[in-house]
Amino acid sequence: MKRAASYFLTQLKRVLRLLPAQMGISFVIWLCVGLLAVLLVSQKADEGQDRYRVGLVGDVSDSYLGFGFAALQTMDDSRLMIELIQMEETEAAEALSRGELTAVMRVPEGFVSSVVSGENDIHVTYETAQGQKGLAAMVMEEIADAASTLVTASQSAIYGMQRTLYEQEGADRVGRETDRLNLMLIHFVLSRSGFSEVEVLGYADGLSLEAYYFCRIILLVLLLAGLSGSVFFLHRKTALAGILRAGGVGALLQITGEYLAYLVYLCVSFFLPFCLLAFALERGMLSLPEWEGRGAEPFLAMLPFFFAAAAMFAAFQFFLCELADGIVNGLLLQLICGVGMGYLAGYFYPAAFFPERLRSVGELLPTGAAARLAESGFLEKGAGGAGVSVLAWLAVFLLLTAAVRQARIRRG
Amino acid sequence: MTMDVRGIRKAYGKKQVLTDVSFMVQGGQCVGILGGNGSGKSTLFSILAGVRRADSGSFLYGETELLRYPGRIPEVIGYVPQTDPLMEELSAWDNLRMWHDKRTLQRELAEGALALLEIDGFLKTPVRKLSGGMKKRLSIACAVAARPGILILDEPSAALDLVCKETLIRYLAAYKKAGGIVVLSTHDVQDLTICDECFVLKEGCLRPYVYDGDFHALAEAF
Repeated sequence: MKRAASYFLTQLKRVLRLLPAQMGISFVIWLCVGLLAVLLVSQKADEGQDRYRVGLVGDVSDSYLGFGFAALQTMDDSRLMIELIQMEETEAAEALSRGELTAVMRVPEGFVSSVVSGENDIHVTYETAQGQKGLAAMVMEEIADAASTLVTASQSAIYGMQRTLYEQEGADRVGRETDRLNLMLIHFVLSRSGFSEVEVLGYADGLSLEAYYFCRIILLVLLLAGLSGSVFFLHRKTALAGILRAGGVGALLQITGEYLAYLVYLCVSFFLPFCLLAFALERGMLSLPEWEGRGAEPFLAMLPFFFAAAAMFAAFQFFLCELADGIVNGLLLQLICGVGMGYLAGYFYPAAFFPERLRSVGELLPTGAAARLAESGFLEKGAGGAGVSVLAWLAVFLLLTAAVRQARIRRG
Repeated sequence: MTMDVRGIRKAYGKKQVLTDVSFMVQGGQCVGILGGNGSGKSTLFSILAGVRRADSGSFLYGETELLRYPGRIPEVIGYVPQTDPLMEELSAWDNLRMWHDKRTLQRELAEGALALLEIDGFLKTPVRKLSGGMKKRLSIACAVAARPGILILDEPSAALDLVCKETLIRYLAAYKKAGGIVVLSTHDVQDLTICDECFVLKEGCLRPYVYDGDFHALAEAF
């Protein structure tokens, strides 16, 4: 045991020697993540300004039709998603080919007269480039089709009503009833969003998008922080492991000593970024809907949850580096496994978007367990089952690492 | 004290590496084990050093059966493997400190192994900046600072320059003179000058060999 303690202290010395280089790499990783976070936040802020640009081509001189489009662009919900731009035919075709327009809505010649005459045999057409044929294009096509159908069908209804009134009551009520029916139809179109009620449930146990990404980005950094700590795994010598084993420091004790020293490094390297995060939260430079007005207190309270996740990720990294032959292979393995498992656990995209089976797999993975733990911490619940999962994974990884070390010593 | 190795056997899967290795060394003597690449020298040494377990056999040092009580091995044996067991980021002193207490090291620096191996010139230098010869001397220093009775060296002179070899041979002579047992493997006939007895390890067994300066005869014995 004395030799095991001596080995741990020696590993601590190694950590101290390696710390400046590792801190440098950590700083670069945190900087990249910070930039990514800033980009995400600014992109979110710009989201309201991103609209699909649709060229409007053809005969829109009719006041009735003009009023319809004006109403769409000023009063309808679709104005937040679609920007209608009136253009010439050739100008619209060029803009579409340059990718400046998502689509062109064409009002064919004779459309208005067809509506006025009550024939209603001509419809507004919607054209889009091959590459733009996605879900959004389909939705807009539906909107254009619906608008076209609404106009023609509405006009048919109005003409029918006018004909009936002329035949039965004369011309007295025709004007008034036409206006009333027009207004009623416009009201139906503009207030259609009230037909259904949309409830936003949030992501992963009701977290807001900001909170979701706050947790996942920190976990992603903790997961990939191993890359900066890879210097620690350089110059591993089987000869040393063998002599230590002969001296009574078995594979599990060796791994435990190295791992504890590595945890000290992790604590030191995360100290500054976490202080900065706490400072930003305290000063209101960073705010999350769930923690509004509470400063850094909830974040500080959830640090043990992040630490547990980081400790488990470190054990995972130990396992991969022990398994891989050489530091380059170890780095590649860490990157591939980290990104793959992070993706499945929803570190890049909300897991709620994934199919049910994939989501279940993601939750079972170490990254999924860490995510559940972080969410519990964020929502100020106890660690519960997620905490047990994380500790179980940690133990499994350490035992596996020791088994690999043992095999390595036996092989020589 | 006498070192008595009897009937050591070791197989990796179906491959029998050591079939019956037996030899005896008296205190103050050096034994050289020769053999081709892959003949099992390193396996034998790692078994004697307690790194690997033998399938069968015995290893007596005095009255103590070391294979049955492997916990005694670190007290008795100093082992220097082929590749150095040093931590590259740490200084020579830090590496020594991992294995020995301060008082032992100061004693050895003043008048013992560390002084003979001329370690004091690079105590504060990180291992990664040391030459191959310095690393070898430091590895030996780590193994012998506690004054074990047996020193096992796996190819100690590989890749060393003449000055380093000279320092090494001088140290081994002093170690023998103090009553220690040296067991070394080598491909270098210069190392045989320090050996009192030689064996060739072939087909898993040790055969006595007397080197008479005929290099071709030695090569044929492999």
